[in-house]
Amino acid sequence: MPRLAGLLFILASAVFSIAALSYAFAPDPGRLPEPQNASEQNLAIVVNVSNPISNLSMSELRKIFLGERSHWPNGRRITLVMMEAGQPERAVVLRDICQMNETDFNNHFLHGVFTGEVLVSPKTLATPVGVRKFIFNVPGAIGYLRVSDLDSTVSVVRIDERGPEDKGYKLHVPPRSPK
Amino acid sequence: MVRQNQRAIRRTLAGPAALLDRVLALASRYSSSLLLLMVFLVVIVVGLLVIRDLHTTNVEAQKMYAGSVLGLHRIGELQYQTQETRRSTFYALTTNDSNLQVEYADQSREADRRVNEGIVEYVRQARMPHEIELGKRLQRDWTAYLSVRNEVLASILEGSTKDAVTLDLSGGVPSFERVRQDLEEIKRLYDEQASERLTNVVAASRRFAIRLIGVLAFTLLFASASVWAIQRSKMLGAIQLAALQMEFVASVSHELRTPLAVISSAADNIVDGLVRGKEDLNRYGSVLRNQSRQMTELVDQILLFASTKDRNSRYLIRPLQVSQIIQSALNNTAELVHETSFLVESHIEPDLPCIMGDLSALSQCLQNLIVNAVKYSGASRWLGISARLGDSADRAGQEIQIAVQDRGLGIDRADTPHIFEPFYRSAAVTAAQIHGTGLGLPLAKSIAEAMGGRLSVVSELSVGSVFTLHLPAAKVQELGTAAVSPEPHSATDI
Repeated sequence: MPRLAGLLFILASAVFSIAALSYAFAPDPGRLPEPQNASEQNLAIVVNVSNPISNLSMSELRKIFLGERSHWPNGRRITLVMMEAGQPERAVVLRDICQMNETDFNNHFLHGVFTGEVLVSPKTLATPVGVRKFIFNVPGAIGYLRVSDLDSTVSVVRIDERGPEDKGYKLHVPPRSPK
Repeated sequence: MVRQNQRAIRRTLAGPAALLDRVLALASRYSSSLLLLMVFLVVIVVGLLVIRDLHTTNVEAQKMYAGSVLGLHRIGELQYQTQETRRSTFYALTTNDSNLQVEYADQSREADRRVNEGIVEYVRQARMPHEIELGKRLQRDWTAYLSVRNEVLASILEGSTKDAVTLDLSGGVPSFERVRQDLEEIKRLYDEQASERLTNVVAASRRFAIRLIGVLAFTLLFASASVWAIQRSKMLGAIQLAALQMEFVASVSHELRTPLAVISSAADNIVDGLVRGKEDLNRYGSVLRNQSRQMTELVDQILLFASTKDRNSRYLIRPLQVSQIIQSALNNTAELVHETSFLVESHIEPDLPCIMGDLSALSQCLQNLIVNAVKYSGASRWLGISARLGDSADRAGQEIQIAVQDRGLGIDRADTPHIFEPFYRSAAVTAAQIHGTGLGLPLAKSIAEAMGGRLSVVSELSVGSVFTLHLPAAKVQELGTAAVSPEPHSATDI
């Protein structure tokens, strides 16, 4: 009988120790781990949910982002939404879609507006949330968001029949630097 | 003295309130707490009525608050949020900063979400067809305005301020005006309902106040009347008790005084040497013996009567043959019957069932009836005793009826209700100088009732009286638990 009590005590001590160690080394729930999924580092091209466009070629996308195309097929005016200069997302768009640097891009629009080739210059927003809300409110708006910033208020457009989750998708954005 | 006391009591009980006093006396005798219980019940009922009325008024007030005050508040909130929706849209026009424009658009959408919730809540709570129709109309008009608002917002965010203003003037202003009118109509409806409910609450409150005053007045009167009645009944009970005690003392004194006077007088004569011969001595001795017996009989009757009134007095209850009881009574009165040369006719039905009772007590009961029959038979010198089985008048089943009949003076109809009252003696009997204590019949009645039976009388003046002792026949279960006493001698004519 004393032997059984001793065994039970050792067993209970072991269980308690394991529980205490698990608790001590558990990840901090307030600090979520960085997403490890590669697709979440991609940059999605998004439009208003009422926009029937679901796929664009890279060349069409370039025309849109350079203001060379002003209307959607349904007649809605295209409103381009960009994030502020210096944001990695904007850099990716300028590099991979517009194939320009910041200066060239600004000059392109200054020239276009001056000559009347471009009717409206891009709207600039500070945050991804602002971009998302803008696109939600404007039926003809088009912009870009990290996959992790997506929600149901916007619609993702495929590029050359590839979505951000697909292999071979071209728009990749470096991870956000921790604040 | 006794008669004076009785007359005094009757005077006390006479008058218009005699019936009430008797009822009150009965109430006080059996339970004045019954009256208090009634008062308590009335107060409880009144309290429940008051609580019910309070609850009704409270519910009315709550309905008014929920229906009108909250409704008006809800409409006020709806009006504010609709204005906020429109105001935030216009704020977006005042800046070229897209971030700020998005923020204003967000505020406008948040306000319109609250408006939608308010409208849904209004439609959900609407009961009248007119209210439901109005709620649905508001919902349609608000949706129409929102579609214009969305276009205006989109134009503002796109940077087409001119288009936004044009759109708002052409579509936004009229559609928002329709929403405003709908809200005004709902508000007017709420105002009307609030005014109607306020009238209802005021009327209900007035009704409640009147009813409360009435109920309180009634309760106060009832409680006062009850307290008065209880006090009066207790006072009457005390008066009656005191009168009975005085009457008892007076009766006993009176009854003792006569034989004592005779004994005293006889003793004086003997002491004074007036009794000389043996014959005189025998006569005086006989007088002294008779008077002593009379006094003994009186004291015995009083003690017996007191013992029957004592609730703790114990009887030896056992199965008894009817003939056994009658025989015992006849044996005990045999000397009296013999001295007065009475003819006693006895008739007992054969195979009578047993009864449950105390032999000594029942024998005493019958003896009293026999003695009375002898006393009040006058010159007829006949009495009859019969026993039969009959149906019980006051309970289910059968009973034994033992009747003692005489052909004597009879009882006046006016005296009949009083003959079972202690010490009561009719005027005719007193005038005829027939001695008695007035305890015989009350004693017989008490015994009959103690044995679970009753005593009844049928009498006609100058014809005679029949006193009947009704006793319940013993049940089989009762007989099973007690052994039947041995069969006595059968009754015979004397």
